[in-house]
Amino acid sequence: MTIEAKNITKTFGNYEALKEVSVTVPSGKLVALLGPSGSGKTTLLRIIAGLEQADHGQILMDGRDTTDASARDRRVGFVFQHYALFRHMTVFDNVAFGLRVKKRAERPSREEIRSRVMELLKMVQIDWLADRLPNQLSGGQRQRVALARALAVEPKVLLLDEPFGALDAKVRKELRRWLRRLHDEIHVTSIFVTHDVDEALEVADEVVVMNQARIEQVGPPDEVYEHPANSFVYHFLGSVNLFHTRVRDGQVHLGDDVLDVKTDGEEALVHARPHDIEIAREAENGGWLKAQVLRIHTIGPIVRVELLRADDQSLSEAELTRERYAALRLIVGEDVFFRPRASKIYSAP
Amino acid sequence: MAGVIPSRIGAQGVKSRRAVTEPLWVRSLLITLALLFIALVLVMPLVLIFTYALQQGWAVYIASFTEPDAVSAIRLTLITAAITVPLNVIFGVSAAWAITKFHFRGKNILITLIDLPFAISPVIAGLIFVVLFGARGILGPWLIENDIRIIFATPGIVLATIFVTFPFVARELIPLMQAQGSDEEQSAMTLGANGWQTFWRVTLPNIKWGLLYGVILCNARSMGEFGAVSVVSGHIRGLTNTMPLHIEILYNDYQFTASFAVASLLVFLALITMVVKAIIEWRTQQTITTITDDTLLLEK
Repeated sequence: MTIEAKNITKTFGNYEALKEVSVTVPSGKLVALLGPSGSGKTTLLRIIAGLEQADHGQILMDGRDTTDASARDRRVGFVFQHYALFRHMTVFDNVAFGLRVKKRAERPSREEIRSRVMELLKMVQIDWLADRLPNQLSGGQRQRVALARALAVEPKVLLLDEPFGALDAKVRKELRRWLRRLHDEIHVTSIFVTHDVDEALEVADEVVVMNQARIEQVGPPDEVYEHPANSFVYHFLGSVNLFHTRVRDGQVHLGDDVLDVKTDGEEALVHARPHDIEIAREAENGGWLKAQVLRIHTIGPIVRVELLRADDQSLSEAELTRERYAALRLIVGEDVFFRPRASKIYSAP
Repeated sequence: MAGVIPSRIGAQGVKSRRAVTEPLWVRSLLITLALLFIALVLVMPLVLIFTYALQQGWAVYIASFTEPDAVSAIRLTLITAAITVPLNVIFGVSAAWAITKFHFRGKNILITLIDLPFAISPVIAGLIFVVLFGARGILGPWLIENDIRIIFATPGIVLATIFVTFPFVARELIPLMQAQGSDEEQSAMTLGANGWQTFWRVTLPNIKWGLLYGVILCNARSMGEFGAVSVVSGHIRGLTNTMPLHIEILYNDYQFTASFAVASLLVFLALITMVVKAIIEWRTQQTITTITDDTLLLEK
């Protein structure tokens, strides 16, 4: 089912959670709402679910206006951040809940409920826990119960609020791969909220980056990562080295280097990722900046080098592979040259 | 991590216990004082009640309940409790539900109002109803015209009791429901449950122990209420006397044995209430422990 949010605005008291937000989620896709806390992503998800009412704007599902439909009538499956399992019911009863509260005419028979629930529990790989109570389960198992429970009523849309937020790093990675595989199997349109960049980039078909109640960029993970729409997105997706420059006659000047840009502005910022910084002992052509090696950290397979620029005393950070580091034989305190291999230029805010 | 934290807490616990503990004589003194006080104020009266009640033997003891005025007092007390408790359960659950699950203006005023009966002396509570419904009260003439008796009759007693016991259920439920939040109700809703199904299948099972606790306190108070009921009852023997009022009348008539015998019935009720309360407290404690366990797990 295609979901369209049109010009959604929502305020809580004086706090604006969403400002004129519009986004379309194509049918059958797995979409991530990515942003820092307070960016409005959970509010948007809850408005789509019908758990919150928008002040203005519309929610369309398959072109049908569902803005005023209640959460029960929208047929969305919602997985809460802290799972919200019914604590007094067994895993089986939790999953069966949605089937048992159906109107008599639509309600499946006891045996049908039984086989449907067991089938779902098998799918989320916890059928052996059917008789347990939620407080006897680990976080990852609870998450699976919550998911099975949401899927039991065959929702047209699956909404997940920080689905892996409360889990430890290892279980988190495991579960997100599993979610991806599950989605490939059942193909229900899904939206999940996360503040974890890796999670969004790894799992989602499409990433919606949000910040301060607005959408900054929408696109496939690769595109969003390779071509961030603005400085915020660039910053949010990873570490950044910033170089202050001025645009002169449509050109950006960085050190001795000159880059051609289309927009003309007073000041421009060159953004470069630490792993796109290259270091050399000699400045062969233009574009190299002189710097002093301040610190060297080895973190697993990479080596992080902190550099103090000679001309304006600003700090930069470079990430080298162990091989490159070994070849360079860097020593703390010595002078080297560095330059961004790849970079993005955004006008200064 | 999980293995390290408890052991560290354990170590700190031992250390701090040693550091915080008072010398032996201070401890003994405090414990003795507390026990003496309990003996004097709580245990002795209890023992005395039963001693006086049984002073003239079982026959007189039993006869004290079976004489018509006593039967009528017991019946009125039971009727009052039977009306008061269910009504206050409905009020209490609705109030707690409204306060914890919805946002609305005047919520804090509502919470304060629920506490009002605790703050007001029961006698004043009774007087309010006399001023409202008494013969010279605001609604008095109209009531007389329509031949409705409220003051000096059962409805007045029930009203006064409802007023006095109003906070018990709501007070018990509000903190519990606040701690539980409304996530479970919301997820029931997204799964297609209507409000009624959500209440019966999700909310009620989660609050049942707290609710039962509130019901027991409410029941104990409604049977034992003296002040407010005394004002509105009119003390008509065999008609508008509840057990506490009956006990007072017997006592004033120098029928000490009978008075203490009826009193011992109320004491029995109190003792049963306390046992049930202790059991329920133990059960709720367990529920709360699981809630905290849940939060701990989530934070991990």
